[in-house]
Amino acid sequence: MSTAAWICLLLPLASAVVLTVGGTAVPRRIAGYVSTLTTMGAFAAAVVAFFDMWSKAPVERVATTTSWTWLAAGQYHFGLTLLADQVSIVMMLIVSGVGSLIVAYSVGYMDGEDEERRFFAYMSLFVFSMLLLVEGGNLLLLLAGWGMVGLSSYLLIGYYQDRPSAIAAAKKAFVMNAFGDATMALALFLLIQHTGALDYVTVFRNAPHHGAIANLIALGLLGGALAKSAQIPLHTWLPDAMEGPTPVSALIHAATMVTAGVYLIVRCHPLFENAWAVQDLAAGLGAATLLMAGLIALVQTDIKRVIAYSTMSQIGYMFVGAGIGAYPNALFHLMTHAFFKALLFLAAGILIHALTGEQDIRKLAGVGKLMPFTKWVFLIGSLALVGIFPFAGFFSKDSIIAACLAHGTYGAIIWVACVIGAFLTGVYAFRLYFIVFTGEPTAWAREHFHKHHGKEGPISMLWTVGTLAVLAVIGGWLQFAPIWHPLTTWLDPIAAPITEPSNFQEWLSSAFAIVLGLAGIGVAYVLYVARSVPVPQAVTLFEKKFYWDELYDVVWYRSSDALSRGLGTIIELPLIGGAITAVSGLTGASSRELSMAQNGLVRTYALALAGGVAVLALIFLAAR
Amino acid sequence: MNQWLTMILIVLPVAGALLVAVAPLSAYWLGSFAALVSLVEIGFWITAASRFHYGSPRLQLAQHASWFSDLHVSWHVGMYAFSVWIVGMSVVCMGAATIYGWWVGRDRGRAYFALMLLLTGAVVGVFTSQDLLLFYAFFEAMLIPLYVLIGVWGGADRLRATLTFVVYTVVGSLLMLASIVVLGLREGTFDLTQMHTSHSSLLFLGFLVAFAIKSPLFPFHGWLPITYREAPAEVSGVLSGVVGKAGLYGLLRIAIPIFPAVVADWRGLILALSAASLLYGSLLAFRAPDFRGVVMYSSLAQAGLIGLGLFANNSLGFDGAVLQIVNHGLVSTSLFLLAGMVERRTATRGEFALLGGMARGRPALASLVMIVGIVSLAVPLSTTFAGEFLILAGVFQQGWAWAVLGAIAIVLAAMYMLRAISAVLHQDTGSAVSERATDLRLGELAILVPLVLCLLGLSAWPNLVSGHTLGKTQIERLAK
Amino acid sequence: MHGPDIQWYVILSAILFTTGALGVMLRRNPLIILLSVEIMLNAANLLLIAFSRLHGREDGQIFAISVMAVAASEVVVGLGLIVAMGRRNVELDVDKLRTLRG
Repeated sequence: MSTAAWICLLLPLASAVVLTVGGTAVPRRIAGYVSTLTTMGAFAAAVVAFFDMWSKAPVERVATTTSWTWLAAGQYHFGLTLLADQVSIVMMLIVSGVGSLIVAYSVGYMDGEDEERRFFAYMSLFVFSMLLLVEGGNLLLLLAGWGMVGLSSYLLIGYYQDRPSAIAAAKKAFVMNAFGDATMALALFLLIQHTGALDYVTVFRNAPHHGAIANLIALGLLGGALAKSAQIPLHTWLPDAMEGPTPVSALIHAATMVTAGVYLIVRCHPLFENAWAVQDLAAGLGAATLLMAGLIALVQTDIKRVIAYSTMSQIGYMFVGAGIGAYPNALFHLMTHAFFKALLFLAAGILIHALTGEQDIRKLAGVGKLMPFTKWVFLIGSLALVGIFPFAGFFSKDSIIAACLAHGTYGAIIWVACVIGAFLTGVYAFRLYFIVFTGEPTAWAREHFHKHHGKEGPISMLWTVGTLAVLAVIGGWLQFAPIWHPLTTWLDPIAAPITEPSNFQEWLSSAFAIVLGLAGIGVAYVLYVARSVPVPQAVTLFEKKFYWDELYDVVWYRSSDALSRGLGTIIELPLIGGAITAVSGLTGASSRELSMAQNGLVRTYALALAGGVAVLALIFLAAR
Repeated sequence: MNQWLTMILIVLPVAGALLVAVAPLSAYWLGSFAALVSLVEIGFWITAASRFHYGSPRLQLAQHASWFSDLHVSWHVGMYAFSVWIVGMSVVCMGAATIYGWWVGRDRGRAYFALMLLLTGAVVGVFTSQDLLLFYAFFEAMLIPLYVLIGVWGGADRLRATLTFVVYTVVGSLLMLASIVVLGLREGTFDLTQMHTSHSSLLFLGFLVAFAIKSPLFPFHGWLPITYREAPAEVSGVLSGVVGKAGLYGLLRIAIPIFPAVVADWRGLILALSAASLLYGSLLAFRAPDFRGVVMYSSLAQAGLIGLGLFANNSLGFDGAVLQIVNHGLVSTSLFLLAGMVERRTATRGEFALLGGMARGRPALASLVMIVGIVSLAVPLSTTFAGEFLILAGVFQQGWAWAVLGAIAIVLAAMYMLRAISAVLHQDTGSAVSERATDLRLGELAILVPLVLCLLGLSAWPNLVSGHTLGKTQIERLAK
Repeated sequence: MHGPDIQWYVILSAILFTTGALGVMLRRNPLIILLSVEIMLNAANLLLIAFSRLHGREDGQIFAISVMAVAASEVVVGLGLIVAMGRRNVELDVDKLRTLRG
């Protein structure tokens, strides 16, 4: 089991190293295959590890291996430790499974790009980092993986290096995530001080169980989770991150990396349970994000940005689940979301690929006739997203909504937000679907559409999307809360839920969510297909994305800039630069003055000599 | 042979310098000879490091001989565990810089290579001498080659740069000399291993100012901007990567162990100065208009960070500081060498306004700038991250506010370093970037890749340094 | 003891010394300055010998002889320089010879 976990982690790293060092010696095509095969190899290793774990008794399923001490100082030791347990194996399967599908898809999507090798090297680096994040056996390695996924995300968002907007978006993502890393690091310092270690077992046992320290620890971790998972208030980087190639959006900004925040809360749930206020805060922020993202998604015109906001909104649901303590439900939704959101992004990718890279839905309108396969898989993805029975989202999202009802008054408020969110999801998802896929193609779309050898895209793109579509249909049947729940049972030793809804609450929530979701679809139909009601004017507040970007521009970027400029003019030039000018000026001036005495006239010197003797004589006389 | 190893590390480059100065060879062959000497020096360091017993806090590979006995001054050299790593970083960085000077073919090669080797010897001497006067002699001996290297091979404004540099450092060292003389006469010996702890704030202040100027720490960094901009790139690299570390080493070896009580009294002030350097450097780096500007202000910030670690007064801080000294030496040398390579290719002084778009068609340059830049901003899993993490975890125990300031600086570091990377590599192609700006040549790769490999290797196992120094137990045993 | 009292020697020596010092400071011709320096040296010699005789000891006289030797060598060098200057038609005026000016 441990060996398999190591192989799973190291295969993608090997691929990244080979592709970087090999450079142009690796043929372009081969680069894609190397990356795909190693990711698939990682998935195979994860599967092996899973069955190995499956065959053991529940208490023996946790295995840790330390290869060497990564960092030590004084009595503190932080090992390079891998942890394979029920939670991490689920994450490994999702990351490497969905990851290998998306990397395989990229072989077709990136074909003909200038620097395919660089792309695949970065993708492999990302898969490695993400696996390190989920497999790391202590919080330091978690933080290391945390930062490494941020780095690979930076590299991949900025993949199109000559696009200034891509570079700006990459920097924004990195800096915002660095902020999250920083708060997490602070939480780790607290843990070191109060528990003397960073491995999960010791930390969970020794961490303070209540009080300000417990709250601060949870708050610091939450800061990292919010930044990585693009939740309010650290969410503004995610829509801009759509500047990266579409497979990147699917892999990093939908299926895996952005859900790391949920993993963090689930993994560290004992720390969060010590600080219930912070945990409630996580749920509240998740609810706020899911509403806000849903509202903004209503007015976006870029196909990828709509999906990005829907990602934010869905992760909001996961945060709600993790925040109210329904950990298996949150992980379950993380999994189904990875299927259907990757599906949506990759289907959008087929569209973008076939239509010269265009992403504006007003130009792409009506392409369903030209691309029937894409239309069907996109419909499946949208239905799963809205949570219509029997697609995957229904099972997972509704179980989170139901759990809110079992969480008291606070839960009830969040429940309301969640069902409103379900309605919004219906509207924006099907606004997108109806605009892009129904009706007659625009003239622009007809002109620019080109088939790829008689198909809608390269074969590698079609089979992967097809696989994901199947998963988006059947993936949810893994767990149907009122009747069977193998996932909850599987996760129980590590992440036992503290909130479990009754069957009545499940049925009630599902009824509400489905009805409101269908109502949302109905509204979208009326507005964009039947067109019996004119589309309302877009609200400026939504279009401006609630002015968060402007806020950060003023609060962080401009203030640093002004501070830097201020320090430069107030301190650096006059004081520090001035000090040296003053020293040299003083030396120069005094030496100029003194050199007057050195006039080269012998008699002056003689006079000075005589005067000096006279003065000395006077002094000696006076001193007697 | 063990007791000779430290002495060989000092004397070998000095002897090499003398040979270079008199050997009847062409500049090219003198350069090859100097490069060879640097490599042999690294070889001797590896031998020394492999013969060292890291579990023991005692002085090792030591050699002692009386020099002038009536003042109890002696030739006493040797290494502690932390010195081993700092010396290793120094010989590697000095070697890279010397070989780079050979590769670009600096004119007046005889003098140039002799001075670089002399500097190597002096630097190793500073990091290994265990006698205060000997330490002082090496500390000053570093100045002479630097003075000439900047003044002769520097940029247009080099004379003002040398004057500024020398005025600042000499003021510092004279204060230190006064402290050394008083301390030595009071103790009856100049031998560092025989020193007792002292309570004198004045003596401490003399050392502190000298080391703060050398490191440099805010607000003693007035010499930094002009010197780093005017010096040849590889000299700036060793100046910030190696010579600056002499100041931090002085704090670690002399100021902190000998004056524990004074340090305890002044800790808040010194931590504040360090934190000020960290934030101030980060903020100025954010607006620096050129590549070297970013690197040098980030050096100021890093010196502040290491200062935080040194004065955190626990093993986390000390080990983190030693690790970070090694890291930053490698990072800073690499960055300055890269800056020099970019400047040579574009015939600029690295102004961002003239650069940009260099990633296109230059994969080696792009990869190296990216890797070193990313490591320097302490992305997690890199060795710099390990160092910063230990330092901040250590200083956190002195007060959470210091760590919060450090965390803010981490975010700022991401901002300024990414700005520099994208200003050089990405965005629109700059006006100075033409076809003639080629990708890195094989020779340049041969210099940079080993440095980068050192960084990546340390990233896989930062514990090589942090786990093989003894933290607070070591510091406490440095003075009686 | 014969001869005048010691104070007369001192007064004469002071007058000689002042004359020499004024000559050094006021005159511009290096030859005259050299002469004045000699007068100052001899003023000192006079005092040395006078006090030596007063105390009845010889060391003052030995000093005087040394001073004479120094003065002689000085004159050799100084006059040599002046003659060299005169040969090269350098104007013999110390105010014009100011290369050492700071």
